[in-house]
Order: sequence, then C-alpha cells, then structure tokens
Amino acid sequence: MNLAKLEPIAMQKENVESLSNTASLSSALLERKNQAPGRPDYIKVSNFSFNYVPAVRVLHNITMDIPEKQVTAFIGPSGCGKTTLLRNFNRMNDLIDGVSQEGKIYVNDQDIYDRDLEVISLRKRIGMVFQKSNPFPKSIYENVVYSLRVSGQKNKEVLDEVAEKSLRSAALWDETKDRLQDSALGLSGGQMQRLCIARAIANRPEILLMDEPCSALDPIATAKIEELISELKQSFTVVIVTHNMQQATRVSDRAAYFYLGKLIEMDDTTQLFSNPSQKETEDYISGRFG
Amino acid sequence: MNMKTGPEDTALDDPKRFTASRQVLAVDWFMTVFIRLGGVGVIVTVVGIFFFILSQVVPLFQGANVDEVSRGEAPSLPQGNYIGLATDEWSELPLVVREDGRVYFIDLRGQRGVVEKAPEWLQGGKVSAIEIDHGAQVIAMGTDGGKIHLIRFEYEPEFVDEVRTVKESLSEEYQGMVEAGKPVKLIAMGQSERVRVIGTVSGEGGSQSLEVKILKRKRSLMGVGKWKEVEQGDLSGELPAADKIQKILVSNRGDALIVVADSGRVSYFFRGDEGFKIRQHFAPFEDMPGRKIITTGFLLGDVSLVFVADDGSNRVFSLFRSEADPVRKFYHTKTLKSLGAAADYYASSSRNKAFLLGAGKHASLRFSTSEEIRWSEDLPWKVQLGAISGKYDALLFLDDAGRLHKYQLDDPHPEAGLKAFFGKVWYEGAPEPKYEWQSTGGSDDFEPKFSLVPLIFGSVKGTCYAMLFAVPIALFGALYTSEFLHPRHKIFIKPVMEIMASLPSVVLGFMAALWLAPLIEDKVPSLLLVMIFVPAGAFALGWLWGSRPMYIRKWIPQGLEFLYFMPVLIALGWLGWILGPHLEQVIFTVTDPQTGKSVGDFSQWWPKVTGTSFQQRNSMVVGFMMGFTVIPIVFTIAEDALSNVPAALRSGSLAMGASRWQTAWRIVLPTASAGIFSALMVGLGRAVGETMIVVMATGNTPIMEWNIFSGMRTLSANIAVELPEAPHHSTLYRTLFLGAFVLFLLTFLVNTIAELLRQHLRERYKTV
Repeated sequence: MNLAKLEPIAMQKENVESLSNTASLSSALLERKNQAPGRPDYIKVSNFSFNYVPAVRVLHNITMDIPEKQVTAFIGPSGCGKTTLLRNFNRMNDLIDGVSQEGKIYVNDQDIYDRDLEVISLRKRIGMVFQKSNPFPKSIYENVVYSLRVSGQKNKEVLDEVAEKSLRSAALWDETKDRLQDSALGLSGGQMQRLCIARAIANRPEILLMDEPCSALDPIATAKIEELISELKQSFTVVIVTHNMQQATRVSDRAAYFYLGKLIEMDDTTQLFSNPSQKETEDYISGRFG
Repeated sequence: MNMKTGPEDTALDDPKRFTASRQVLAVDWFMTVFIRLGGVGVIVTVVGIFFFILSQVVPLFQGANVDEVSRGEAPSLPQGNYIGLATDEWSELPLVVREDGRVYFIDLRGQRGVVEKAPEWLQGGKVSAIEIDHGAQVIAMGTDGGKIHLIRFEYEPEFVDEVRTVKESLSEEYQGMVEAGKPVKLIAMGQSERVRVIGTVSGEGGSQSLEVKILKRKRSLMGVGKWKEVEQGDLSGELPAADKIQKILVSNRGDALIVVADSGRVSYFFRGDEGFKIRQHFAPFEDMPGRKIITTGFLLGDVSLVFVADDGSNRVFSLFRSEADPVRKFYHTKTLKSLGAAADYYASSSRNKAFLLGAGKHASLRFSTSEEIRWSEDLPWKVQLGAISGKYDALLFLDDAGRLHKYQLDDPHPEAGLKAFFGKVWYEGAPEPKYEWQSTGGSDDFEPKFSLVPLIFGSVKGTCYAMLFAVPIALFGALYTSEFLHPRHKIFIKPVMEIMASLPSVVLGFMAALWLAPLIEDKVPSLLLVMIFVPAGAFALGWLWGSRPMYIRKWIPQGLEFLYFMPVLIALGWLGWILGPHLEQVIFTVTDPQTGKSVGDFSQWWPKVTGTSFQQRNSMVVGFMMGFTVIPIVFTIAEDALSNVPAALRSGSLAMGASRWQTAWRIVLPTASAGIFSALMVGLGRAVGETMIVVMATGNTPIMEWNIFSGMRTLSANIAVELPEAPHHSTLYRTLFLGAFVLFLLTFLVNTIAELLRQHLRERYKTV
C-alpha cells in the first residue's frame, strides 16, 4: 500500500506569493531556464494500452515519463489517442462503460489503477481543464471554491483567500472581483475557460491536465491562457493536449507526438520541432500531413 | 475526380438547380398551414370547453326573474273581503276564500272565468279564522259561531287531446265545535299520515282560550276511515293571562304548537306521549325593545320560523339541539334585510326555503338559507294576499280591488350562490354554520347542501398523501437510477416504470378497495415498522458502506451495490412486518369492555387516542395506490431531466475530486431542477385529477379532517359519484359543472405558477 505518498504536498509559501504577483513571476520565469527541474518521471507510463468496447484498442503500448513542474504537450492528428491518455491520468475514463486497460501508470510512484486506491483522492491531486469550458451553473465564486467545498472546507476566510488567489493566478481577478456572486454563465468564452483553470487550481493540485484548452477561443484569449500556462508550471506539473503546433512550441518544455494510438516520439520541444528523429513527426510538424 | 466545366456539359449545368421546386414550396406551404390550423384548433377547443363549462355554471349565480303573465285583464272577483288564497300545482286554477265562506276558483287560462262554490255547511255563519294547508290540501276555517270546518280541495288534471284541463272539487272532511257562540279567532292545523292536530283560539282578552283537538283516522282494508276527534285539551293555563294571542301555528307533523303573543313572546309546545307540554319561551326581537311580532310562519319542513316585526325586521329561528341543551329548541339562525314596514302577508314555498313577504305595494321574495332577497319590486297596486306556486314557478297576488295577478317566476337555483358554495352556511337543524356537502336526502323537505369546500379539501388531502408517498420514492429512485446505477441495469428500469404508468387506474382502485384496504386494515403497526425499518436501514447501510476503506469497497463494483443491499432491506422489511403485531400488543392497547383485559388493536386504539375515526378505506390506502400512478410519471420525467444534465458538468465535478453523491447533489440536481419541478407538477396534476382510485378506495365521505385513517371525497370523485343522480340543468347538475370548473381553475393556477417557477429555475440553472 502506497497511500502515504498521496498525502498532498505542503504548499510552499513563496509559491503562493509568487503566484499572486504575476509581474515578478514573469521575470522569474526567464531565470528559471537552467534551474534544476523536479523528478523527470513524475508521471510514469509503462506499456500502457487502452481499449474501448468492444475491443477497440485506442492506445498501444505507450511508455513515457512526464517530468515534474514542466509543461508537456501532446500533439498529433485527431483521433490519435492523446486525449484518451490524458483522461487516464485522473481516471476520467472510468465513467465510460466497458473500457479496459493494460500496463501501468504511476503518478509519483503510485499505481493509479491499484484497486485499493480511492479514485476521489487521486482526482483531488490532479486538476483538469476541459476542451469546452464547463462552468457549473453557480456563481463565479462558488465555481472557484467548489473543490474546497466538496472537501468540506467551511471557513469563509480560507475560501475568500483561495478564490482571490486562484482568480489572480488565472488572470481573471481584475475582471471579476466586482461580480463574484454573479452567475458564471454570464462570462465570455475566454473568461469561462480561465474560470475553469482557476477552479482547477484552487485546491493546489500537483498536476494540471489541459485538454485543448484554447481550441474554442480567439487569439487574444488564447494568448492570455498561454501566458498563464507558462506561469503555472512554477507550481504544477502541466500536461497539455493541443492541435496547435505553434502553441506547443510556445508553452511546452517537452512534447510527445502521437499517431494512431502510438507514441511516435517524445523529446524536448525545441528538439522535437527543430530536429525530429522520426519521419512521421517531421511530416506532421512541417504540415505535409495532418 | 476530373470535373469538366464548360457550356457543353449540360447534364451538370441544369439551369433549374438554383430554383426551389414547386413541389417543395407546395409541401412547405401546406405543412405551415396545417400545423397552424392544428395549433389554433387546440386553443379553440380548450377555450371552447372553458366557455361551455362557464355557460353551465353562470345560471347558478343569477337572481330570480319575475314577469307578469299578461293575459288581458286580470280576472276580477265579486266584491267582498277575501281572506285566503291557495293554488294548484300548475297555477292555472287558484282559489280564494271570501269571508262568508264562499270559495272562488279562478281559471287563469281564461276559459271558465270565475267559478263560485257556495258550500252549504256554513249556514250563514261568518269565517273568523282561516288556515290553508297546501301540503294536505285542506282549508281549516273557524266561524264566529264557534265551529270549525276542515274542507278539502282537490285538483284533478284531465287530458283531452293531449291538452290538460284541471278539474276542481271541494268536500268537507271534518266538522267540530270549540265552544258554541264563542267566535274562533285563530286556527292552525297540522297533519301527518294518521294524526291531525287543530289548534284554536277563541274569545277575547282575558277570556281567551287556547284549545287543541287531536283527530285520528283508522286505516283498514276498506280504505281510509273518517277523521275522528280523540282528544281535546285546553292549554290556556300554560300561558300568562295578560298575553293576547296573536297567532298560532301547528307543525305539519303535529308535534309542535307555536303561540305568538302580542307582547313579543313566543311559546313552543311540544307534543309528547302525554300531550302538549310547554318546552320553550323566547322573544325573537328581545334585543329591540318595543318591537312587536306582526307575521309568523313556518318554512318548508316546519323546523324554521320566520318572524317579521312591525318595523319590517326579518329573522329566522330554527330548531336544533345545542351543545349545552340536549332538547331541540328554537334559536336565532338568520337575519334578513328589513322589509321596511310591517308585513301584510306571508307565503312560503313548498319546494324550498323561499318565502314571500309584502307590505302594501312592496313585494319581496326571500330565501332563508342564503339570507338573500331573490326578487323585490313595488307593484302597481296594493296587495291583499300572496302565494307561491307549488312548483316555485309562479307568484300570485290578489290586489285590494279583487283582481288576481299571476307572475311568472324563473328562479331555478335559489339555493346556489358564492356563499353556499364556498362559505359556511347555517343549515336547518345544525347547531352552527359549517361547510357541508349533501346533495340528496330522504324526504321532500330535505335541503341540499352544496359546499364545495369539503371537496376541495378532499382533493388537497388525497393529493397530499399521494405525493407524500410518491415524491420521495420517485425522486430518489430517479436520482439513484441516473447517477449511481450501473448502465447495464439502467436500461431495464425505465421501460418497467413506463409499463407501471400504463396500468389503468380502475384496476389499481379495484385492487386498493378489495385487496389492499382489507390487507392493511389490521396491519397498521406492521406497516409503520416497515416504513421505519426500510428507509432507516437504507441510510444506515449506505453510511456504513460509504465509510469503509477502498480495500473493502473494491469487492463490489460501483453501480451494483443495490444487488447486495436489496436482500438486507427486504429482510428488514420482513422483520418489521412480523414484529408489527408484537408492537401492537405493547403500545396500541385498548381495554376490552367485555373481559376487562388489555388487547392490542390499532383500529380501536387510534380513535380512542386521537378522537378521530379509523376506517378501512382511508387516505393511507389512497395515498399508496395513487402513489403508484404518480411514481412512474414523476420518475420518468425526473430521470430524463437528470440524465439530460450535460456530461461535461458531471465530469467537471468528478474531476475536481467530488464524490458521486456530491456531484449528484450539488451539480446534477440543481441543474435539473427545472425538469424535476415539471415532473412534480405533472405528478401533482395526475394526483389532483385522479378519479377512479379515489372513488373506489375511499368511503367518499365529504368530511374535513386531515386524519390519515379516514376517507375523503375529491372534486373529481364527486363528479363521478353524483352525475347519475343529477337531473339535467338542476342545481346539482350545474354545481357538478362548477366543481369541474373549480378543478379546471385549480390545475390552471397550479400549472401557471409551476410554469413561472420553472422558467425561473431554468434561467437560473441554464447550462452553456
């Protein structure tokens, strides 16, 4: 039993402060280039295969390591399985009837398909932002503090503080601080998506999964979110699925190229885009295919 | 593909390809018109139904319509002082009595004019007192010679070529003597099948004597015998000597004698086994010093007395047993608007509680129960005598010039009115005003009671108990099915529920009445235990299971927990069922009056402790069975609403680390609230309108109490039960339409409010 490892990591004080101050964060980001990263195999996928019913294999023997506190981008054409893999990290695929998987996925050395593992505690450590923004039909404030509410947090001061910090981190505070009690559904598309990010990070998860977070947004909103992602990796391990290769180059440290359910290549982003080792990768990123 | 473009490629270059074909446009036009017609048709039909019901209801609230029947000159009578007016059933041949004892029949159809009957029996005497009993068709006369005569008048309809003519006849039934030479001042008569009571007052002032004669007749194989005097008594001694008797009345059963004195005091004598005994003295206008009683008369049924004072004040007193006094006495029940002056004549209807009062030219038709004036008018001449026809369809007035006027009376629903339907009404015989529904009774003088309040109450009660039972089961069932149940089982549940919804309610009602009601009649304690054990067990089991660590919970797959819970819950239910009788022996005990031992019997215990009744067919049975019709409807609609909550919201919540219950309770339920609300409203509508189950499974007693172990009568059941008894266009018939109208308004109101709330919820919880 490996439950001890799943205890949430103590939130580092300077992290919170740096998050609340985006200006100093941006400069810190530039200096962080040569900073020693966390564990290189924070999420470890080994020989993982995944089937939908009936016997449709959508992931074939994936083996990869995702490093801690870096942005890892999954790229590839539609239907190549990158979203499926992402949704396996927090076991969202459990919701689908009749799926099965082989192989292992470890998060921080914990086998997430261990039958003794409480899936709720796993999901509490892994935030997720969906392709289409899905704010709850509640107020902006209640959306942000939802994860704390379901954990039983009732202290108003804590909730207020978390709401403000999360909204600041998601660069949404200035726009919403005067209407926190308004319905979240009154926000614009870009604001909603940033609200979903604020909601996902409110509980300080260790990993943030983003499933094409900018696919429905205009370039300005996209830029804001990309900026945000770069800042978030200070505290979170970010895995992002994207169709947009420019976006992948802009935000990610590492990139993985999937094709037809197989991992073709995974490397540092600069390396993968400038000098791919596989022919398929090159075809895809150069736009000759896909 | 190699596409050729050029003028030579005519096949692909059809010039019509940009125009819409005529057929498409025609179909489009036709469907538009057809659908619009359908929509308008539906609205027209609903509005039409509404107006039809309204048209049936409106006459209930209209007043009386009175018009003089103009048939040329009103028939004129010979000179003289007329003292009595009576009429036949059809008001075609009324009779008047002159002071000299002559009786005139007046043919209002104008064929025979005035027919004089000069009876030989008076022998030159003068009639000094008269009373006409319409029911018995007897004129009672007292003469100044001290004699009394009872004269029977009869009408015989004859049909010649399908035209009705009425033949009259007069005959003397009885002749008697009070005291020779002493004029009879007042006379009153009442008769039942065997007994006839005649009260007389003769003499003046101090020498006034009040006498009672009791006549009887024998029935034999040969027919009915003659009336013979069997008893005579003098009641003068019972009254204060100073009082001058002004009016006496005998009730139609001959069991009550009312004596009105000019001092304003009324004495009520009751005839028991030992003859007439004084039972009550009262003064109707006690609180108005100096008022004298001018007119007194019985209403139909002879349990209510109408008094008019010399200033026109009009009060009604009724006989009933009060809580304090077990003996039936007269108490003040109604106060009608003042007539304005002392009444000259009084006539009561033999159909209902209406009576006619007049003072000079003013005439006023009043209805006692509703305290309403149905019609009043100043006539062009002074009226001497008035009468209401037997069918309550005509008024007759004899003016001071000796002319008889017939007025057509059109007042089909005098007993109806807003107050009668929705207010507390003080009916005769009741100790207080109350809401009461009783449409038919045993006797002719029965007064129908049409309060809709007990029926509305019954509808609300039945609906409440049904919803109380159905809503928790249906909603939690829907929530469990949509959010927790494994999809493999989910696909069976809904079709099964829909089959349940299609069960005809008459079958359910039949089952409720013949199977369920007797089954649970003596099993109430068992049911009580089952209702405690099963939900409590479910909660306990859920909590126990949910708080186990994952290494235990992993053994039962998510969504299949119910397979393991069900046997436990069934066992608990069974345990409750068999423990019930033991509980009954311990808690619900009563003392057996015969053996003096303590026995457990809930059906005895409940009335003893709560003071309310315990009936086999009660609201609990209705609640259960009606619940069965409501559950599937609420369940399916609510389940649809819950399942339609976007999966993105559900996965959003789960991804935040919320449990399935938290997701269901905090996200899914509020988001689906508009749909769930609709489900509740549709269920409510079904419960309110449900008829067959209520008709069959309750006693249909229109009582107003929340007691779960008594029955009720709902608006819808009332329509079903009473319709066969309601003659076309009668008050009952229209009242049933009013019930339907109230039901219509009730559902309309509930639906409108529900729709507004639903819009609000939908706006609030709309999803992106």
